[in-house]
Order: sequence, then structure tokens, then C-alpha cells
Amino acid sequence: MRLPAGTRDWLPPELRRKRAVENELRGVFERWAYAEVQTPSFERFDVLELGLGDVLAQQTFLFADKNGTQLALRPEMTTPVARLVSTRMRGAPLPLRLSYVQTAYRYEEPQEGRMREFTQAGLELIGPDSADADAECLFTAIEGLDAIGLGDVLFDINHAAVVDGILAGFELEPAALATCKHLISGRNVVGLRAFLAERGGGAAASDLLALVMTRGREDVLGAARQLCRSDAGMAGIGRLERLLARARELGHGSRITIDLSLLRDISYYTGFIFEGFAIDLGFALCGGGRYDKLLPRFGFAAGAVGWSLSVERLLIALERRHSTQFGVAPAIDVLVSGSDVVAARERAAGKIVRIDFERRSESELVEEARQQRIPRVVLARDGAVRELDVRW
Amino acid sequence: MNGRNTNGLVIALPKGLLYEGSAARLRAAGIDVPADPGRRLTINSPDGTRVLLLRPTDVPAYVEFGAADCGIVGADVLWEAESNVCELADLGFGACRLVVAARREDRYHEGAQLPTFLRVATKFARTAENFFAERDLPVALIKLHGSVELSPLVGLADLIVDLVATGNTLREHDLVVVDEIASSTARFVVNAVRFRAKYDAITALLHKLEGTAVA
Repeated sequence: MRLPAGTRDWLPPELRRKRAVENELRGVFERWAYAEVQTPSFERFDVLELGLGDVLAQQTFLFADKNGTQLALRPEMTTPVARLVSTRMRGAPLPLRLSYVQTAYRYEEPQEGRMREFTQAGLELIGPDSADADAECLFTAIEGLDAIGLGDVLFDINHAAVVDGILAGFELEPAALATCKHLISGRNVVGLRAFLAERGGGAAASDLLALVMTRGREDVLGAARQLCRSDAGMAGIGRLERLLARARELGHGSRITIDLSLLRDISYYTGFIFEGFAIDLGFALCGGGRYDKLLPRFGFAAGAVGWSLSVERLLIALERRHSTQFGVAPAIDVLVSGSDVVAARERAAGKIVRIDFERRSESELVEEARQQRIPRVVLARDGAVRELDVRW
Repeated sequence: MNGRNTNGLVIALPKGLLYEGSAARLRAAGIDVPADPGRRLTINSPDGTRVLLLRPTDVPAYVEFGAADCGIVGADVLWEAESNVCELADLGFGACRLVVAARREDRYHEGAQLPTFLRVATKFARTAENFFAERDLPVALIKLHGSVELSPLVGLADLIVDLVATGNTLREHDLVVVDEIASSTARFVVNAVRFRAKYDAITALLHKLEGTAVA
């Protein structure tokens, strides 16, 4: 009778809370003019594989249909949306704004905030690479978390080209470059120091080490400008600078920090990258960025930026804050006994109606209503309809 | 906001061999921890710092899942845990080597042929497995929790993988080093998210710890 590891049931109060959070997010998506889509929970693995990095491909649940075709439970939503956009929505005018709230599945060690079945909510903004699109990506996430009541979530931002521009000065082979980025992304300073020392160390190495440890705003960008060796990196620094300014205008300035070690999946993001986190939680709450290499893999020449979050992680954050913003059970408006017609009329008027099956007496009904805090009781007996006084 | 410490740092310290060095570094950094913590589990400082006294192998989990913001732990424990923590500094103390050792009389250290199917006893199962896998040597790993040096003497294992600080234990049992896997020192580790959330406090502590490392 046991559930598989990393899965769970949602009992009525839990599910009510979860649905309320999901709907709040849907409201934010709608106000930013995003349209929700839904895709199958399983797809052909050879199609999904086009969009998944090595780590996610390893964590994908696989199975076969009767013909032996390999199928996979989707481990995330960005790849299915990319497939949808490059097939049935190919003709849609850009930019295209799509959102989703769907379950996803990953084979990983279950722990707090990490389940094998979880609900991913997020959005994708498909169209040309632009600073406006990057800004919308970040601001939708901030507003989404604010709407949930997580106004204390902080955001780190970065740009993939900046780190590439800094590393260009080290002339690393592709494999060494990947190793180096993993060390930076994991903020493994001890490992990075050893890696750079093996390649001669020097002033540039010290600068890079210092930068990996530094968080800030314009000061960090100023330091990055000194070390960056590529035009794309310089453009990235400019974008981050303007994004900071735009965020300040919206009053988000103090919640945003530049962190050049924020790379997330090192092979996936091609530009803007961000992550949202809370001071009391050991895991990130949401994240995303620009991934211009994904849609071309599906034969569709367009860029895209987007973010996602796990609804379950939001619920953990709300629980830690003892939030009561969501999940209050709707109160029953009226207890009806003895008439389907009366009950139907009440429901048609938008009331929440509980029907008395037991044909209880007047006093029993009143007692029941008082105990359950139901404000009205309507009784139909012998052709007459009466409302009982239940004041308590 | 909640029951957790959101202002001062929570620091995970290993009890055992690394405790003395770790406590000395923290004291030099201005955090009052006793030379001998006795049976205490936590130490609260007036400045809001909280120190958790843990089994060394438990430190990575406390830091990875955010029950502690940061901690001090041997590199050997980190290799074995393969946990997702940020290794910010090599504190230099607590030096030891993770080695492969065998009975002197088996002469493996002088190049004698190894058995085709090796039995290896160790507390460091994951690190040992990686080491032998990289050399394409088929091994049966025997996970032990203490007195690993006994196992080759009583015929449980052909080789052991164990930490060596002075080498006295190996000598006492007439065991010799066949190969060295890695050398370990104490590391300062932090939770990836807490590093960002408590950046000022963590970097201040890091600089103090590193400052004393140089001195």
C-alpha cells in the first residue's frame, strides 16, 4: 500500500492551498498577457532528448510502448513547449508569450523541495533576443513571487557571455573550459584555485578567483569590465547594468544582486541568467534565463527566455512563514433538507450547499448548523419551504 | 519570521581529530568555543553565532541542506559524501593522506602480483570504488566503520583504504602503504544559497579564518 519514493498524496486542505497558489501564479501570467498551454505528460524520448541537458536526460523516467518506442515522462516543461512552438505554433506571430502549470518527473534522491513528481509553473517568452525580453523574464518572476506573499525573495542575476568573455583570456580547451565553469558554478574556490595554478596562475587567475567570491551591483560589473575579453561579454555587462537601473525604477533594486558565478546549467543558458532564493531556505525558489540554442534544435529559428519554479517549494516557503494567505476552506452557505429543487435554486444563486441525507428533525438540523457554523438552514417538508433560525 | 536563525551564522564543526584545530581557528576569529566541548551538541555565542558539534561525516549534510550555513570538514569527508556544498577555502590544518595499504609480508608495495579479485576494506567506500574503477581493477568493497587496520591481519581483506596522519597505526600492525589516493586538509564549506543570503557575515568569517591560516 506504499507510494513510490518521491511521490505524495494531496489531502483536501493541502490541495486547496496548492491550487490557490497555482491560481495566483496563473493570475500574474495572465496580467502579463501570457497564455497557458498544456502538453502530454509523456513524449517520445528521442524528441525530448533534443532539449535536455545531460543531467536531466539522466534523471528522466523512461519506458517503452508496445512497439518498443522509447517514451519518457517529461522532466521539465521548457522542452515540450519548445517542441510545441516549433511545430503547431510555428506560424504564430512573435514574440510569443506562453505559460504552464504542469507536473514533471525526475528520478532523483527525494529530499526537502525535491520530489520525483512535482509541479512546475513558469513561462516562456519566445522571440528575438532583447533586453526588454530579459527584463520581462525577471520582472514576471518577481511579481509572481510577490503575489504568493514571498516579497522577501532575493534575486541574483548574471549573463553567460560575461563569464565566457572573462574565461576567453585563459584560452582553455573545451573540456577544460567546462571543468572550469563547473568549478565556478559550484563556487568550488579550492578546486578552481588548484585548476588555475596548474595552468600557471598569475594575476588573471587571482582576479578570476576574487570575482567568483564577489557579489554586488555596479561595482562587480566594473570589475568584470576590466577582465572581459569579448564584445559579447561587454554587451552582456551593459545589459546587466541597464537591467539593474530598470529594476530600481520598479523599487526592486535592493532585492537584486549581480553574481558572476551564477551559471546554473552551464551548457544551457546563452545570455541572461537569474535565480530567486530566500534567506531561510537551503534551495533556490525559481530560476531561468535566455536559452537561444534550444529552439533551433527543433528547427525553429528563434530565441527564447523563460523561468520556472516548483510549486511544492513555494508551499514549503509559505509553511515556514506560517502564511495563512492561501487555503482557507470555503464555508458552507446553506444546509438544505428535503428538496432537490430548493438545493438547485441555492446553487444557481452561487451558494455552497450541503444536502441533509438523513431527513433530520428541525432541532437536529439547527444543532448541526450551529456546530458546523453554517449560517442558514432551509427545510422543505409537506410542500412547505421554511428557513430555520440558526443564530448562535 | 520562523524558528530558524536568520541573523547570526550557524557553523557546523566536526568533533574528533579536527575539532581542536577548528576550535582554535574560530577562537582566533573571535567566536568563543571551548577547547573541550564535552558532551555538548551546540554552543551559542552572545553575538548570535551558533556552533553545532557534529560527527565529522554529518557536517556535509547539515551544510548542504541549510541546517548550518557553513562548516569546517576534512576534504576526505567531502570526497566520500559527494555533497553539494561550496568549498571556499583550504584551511591547511588536519593534514592526512588517504592511502591504500597492505600487510608488509604480502609485498604488494614491492610490486608483488595483486590477487585477481581484490577484497578491499574501508570506511571510504565511494572514494575507494572510484579509485579502483579508474584503474579497471575488479574489487569487492567491504564497508567497515572502525579498526580497518585489523581486517588484513585476520584475512577479511587483501587491502585497506584508510586515512594516515602519522603512520603510527600502520607501523604498529606491520602494514605498509601501497599507493596514495589523495591528501586531505580541513576545508571551509558553505551552503550555496546561504553564501548569497548571508554574504557579508560569511565572507567576514572566511577572511578571519584565512587570515589566521596565513599567520
